[in-house]
Amino acid sequence: MDAVTYPNEQVIEFINQNLIPLRVLSDQQPLAKDFNIQWTPALLILGREGKEHSRTVGFLSGDELIPSLLLGMGKGYADNDEFKDALRCFDRLLAEYPGSDSAPETMFQRGVALYKSTHDPKPLKEAYNQLQDKYPGTQWTKRAYPYRLIGD
Amino acid sequence: MGKILHWESDFNQALTRAKAENKPVLLDFFNPQ
Repeated sequence: MDAVTYPNEQVIEFINQNLIPLRVLSDQQPLAKDFNIQWTPALLILGREGKEHSRTVGFLSGDELIPSLLLGMGKGYADNDEFKDALRCFDRLLAEYPGSDSAPETMFQRGVALYKSTHDPKPLKEAYNQLQDKYPGTQWTKRAYPYRLIGD
Repeated sequence: MGKILHWESDFNQALTRAKAENKPVLLDFFNPQ
């Protein structure tokens, strides 16, 4: 990460604009125990209150780190019922990084956030249809499979 | 000169900034070896 990803100017700009970056050694206590760190690099998105909302383990290139962070931020906002901010993250990811590894889960999470914010189940079915069209065969398309049965 | 990341190293200081700037925290556990 230090040799390739963090020196990337787009990564630097994204993190400085959108997140508070905090870096600690993998054995620093009590944080390592509190967050059950077993392998590195481990990147966690925490809410403003310090609660974990997402994590990734292992190397990510710059092209994958930014969408991974957008997904984690979106999930954090959705966890706190801040759906407008969550959808802003999800929509940006799908517009700017549609080929990233994070895109299929983001499409799934976007459908969930729209459903939870409106109580209208149609976005879940739309999410399945979009996943089947753009990311067939991914685990997130399979997880959305039951939503195809939702009526119009 | 290129841009650099300004990492915090203290958990509580990071949370204080997160609340003040209304941003989530990116917590990176790393192994320098």
